[in-house]
Amino acid sequence: MKTAAITMFAAGLLAATALSGSAFAQSGPIKIGVVTPLSGTYTPIGQQVRWGLELAAKEINAAGGIAGRQVNLLFEDEEANPSVAVQKAEKLFQVEKVDFLTGTVNSGSTLAVAQLAERNAKLAATTVSFADSITTDKCSPNMFRVNARAEQQSVALAAWLAKEKPKAKVYYLGPDYEMGRSTVAAFKSSAEKGGAQSGGEVFAPLDSKDYTQYFGQIRATRPQVLYTSVAGNDTVRLLTQLQDFGLLSGLTVVGASGTVTSQNITAIGAAAEGFATGVGYSPQIDSPANKTFVAAFRAANKTDPDLYGADSYGLLFAYKAAVEKAGSTETDKVREALRGLSWQTPQGTKTIRAGDHQAMQPMYVVRVTKGKFDIIDNVSSENAIGPDACTRF
Amino acid sequence: MHDRLTQSMRASHLLALLFVLAALGLAAMGAATGDTFYLRLGTEALIFAGLALSVDLLLGYSGALSLGQALYFGIGAYVSALTLMKLPSFWLAMAAAFLATLIASIIGGLIANRVRGVYFALITFGLAQVMAKVVYNTRELGASDGMIGIPVIEIGFGPFSVSAGSPVGFFLIVLAVIMGLYALTAYLLDTPFGRVLTALKANEKRVPFLGYSVWRARMAAYVLAGVIAGLSGALYPMLRGFVSPELMFFATSGNAVISVVLGGVGTLIGAIYGSVLLVILKSIIGSWTEHHLIVIGLLFMLCVMFLPRGLVGVVRPAIETWLSRRRPAPVAAADPADLPAIIAETARTSR
Repeated sequence: MKTAAITMFAAGLLAATALSGSAFAQSGPIKIGVVTPLSGTYTPIGQQVRWGLELAAKEINAAGGIAGRQVNLLFEDEEANPSVAVQKAEKLFQVEKVDFLTGTVNSGSTLAVAQLAERNAKLAATTVSFADSITTDKCSPNMFRVNARAEQQSVALAAWLAKEKPKAKVYYLGPDYEMGRSTVAAFKSSAEKGGAQSGGEVFAPLDSKDYTQYFGQIRATRPQVLYTSVAGNDTVRLLTQLQDFGLLSGLTVVGASGTVTSQNITAIGAAAEGFATGVGYSPQIDSPANKTFVAAFRAANKTDPDLYGADSYGLLFAYKAAVEKAGSTETDKVREALRGLSWQTPQGTKTIRAGDHQAMQPMYVVRVTKGKFDIIDNVSSENAIGPDACTRF
Repeated sequence: MHDRLTQSMRASHLLALLFVLAALGLAAMGAATGDTFYLRLGTEALIFAGLALSVDLLLGYSGALSLGQALYFGIGAYVSALTLMKLPSFWLAMAAAFLATLIASIIGGLIANRVRGVYFALITFGLAQVMAKVVYNTRELGASDGMIGIPVIEIGFGPFSVSAGSPVGFFLIVLAVIMGLYALTAYLLDTPFGRVLTALKANEKRVPFLGYSVWRARMAAYVLAGVIAGLSGALYPMLRGFVSPELMFFATSGNAVISVVLGGVGTLIGAIYGSVLLVILKSIIGSWTEHHLIVIGLLFMLCVMFLPRGLVGVVRPAIETWLSRRRPAPVAAADPADLPAIIAETARTSR
């Protein structure tokens, strides 16, 4: 009867935990649930999310909390899997009775959690997912996004390109999977609005060892600009092979924000020189607010913040402003307060657009110079945001 | 009448009865305290128990390790999701998932059953990975984002109806479906077909000499397992309201194999106990430490080292002895894990 005993034990455990999760609504600390990957491939992103939120919570609590209430962060590992994310988010909503939820990284998790938030009448926000669908065709009245979406990144880059190389002929090289194809399509439409011409496009399999087979086509069209959305070690091979074949001279290489990162930039070496991309954050942003933030982040975590850390840090201040404006943590009141809210972040002023819950923010174009990203241009939030395509609310 | 297999299955049935009673007790307790999370977590555990059941049917009876059973779970989930978004009917979604996984598992079986042993494991793994990648890159199926917006349905039984949004109601429905699948599998294993499967695991070369088709039996087991996984998968979008390609990934198949090993290979009910235990453990340990994968991994290793027959494998012989004492059987109780030895022995003596 060992199994029966185990079942009874599990039953008792379940009942005990169910009963202990009683609510402390509108008094005591404000609970914010964080469902983010703490294990697996996306751990570095989850780590930045965690550091950003913890720093913000520490600063807010030291300054007296949100409307006099301390902030309490509750972390759960979502393993970058929507099925796990939904289960953990449900636990935070129903057992821990959190007031607000954030942290989801991959877009599938964010979309699934948005639906869950709706069904639980709670609010959630993402600081990482950049799939356009989250605030366009699959927008949710209970989901907010405070980071830049894919379109903002490509609009910023295309705007810079139109200024730098007017009417350039652009060749597109993407990784052959859904995300790769959609990033190329998005940038292509932004660039063509800015007057660029297409020299052609090609999709290479993920994890390609040899890109030289595409170089003939690239040479034949003589593009001035090459756009690529490959990532990780694929970028290393693509750029070094381009350099070996002498194709980089006279060619401006631009790409997605994940194409060249701090993780692969040293491996690419000199071939990364001149690579430009559009981003929502860079530790080099020259403002007093950002300098204070970078110094505090570095002191706490011994490393520089990236865009995920900065966006997550900023989110808590938006929530603080909204709760203080609403005078409550009730879903409907906080939602109203968040709509149209403008607040200060290390990246500058962000404004949540009421129509689709997407944050408008200034965008930056960064270029690799001597192995480091330098900010070379910025695009105002109004010019980077793109049309409101959310029709649900 | 009572041979060894019947004897040990009767012990499994007793454990199944205990499981249902415990589940009903929990449901009543959950309903009384107004709980939603734990009931829905339990529902999810039962859904994954269906998947584990299908793995145990293959691994524990026909002796074929499938590392890609999530393929049929995922197909069932996606077909059910697509059906529900067009027409929110429980029965229609289940029927569609049944048909789709029936066809898919016939195709998959034709491919995978050409090989045995480790190659079978690799082929099933590969099939699931290929299909997961296809779904991952098909925009019409939501690609990497999956599909959200599956409505909360009303499940009608003649004049009665239960909402899938009601934690207790849906828990009971899923419990009924999964235990129904258990009963069906247990019944089929008690027929001559089931004996041929057991013989396959014990001594496959001998089976054709006894006049049975190996291929046909393996195929039937594979298709049955595929359909069980598919029907369980069909319940997933009704509970969570979304589907994502991760449902077909190896993590899902791997968890099902872990559940079976934890609960006891070749016991059927062990798969269900194992799955519930794994889901509960993952939820509790996951909230306690971010290194939950290490803890689960260690528990799994300890289980393999010290409880190689799984939890049910440990308690079942005792129940069998107890049952046979209550109603004396012509043959002394034996563990089904000894079956290969018994068959080999019979083979030797009959030589």
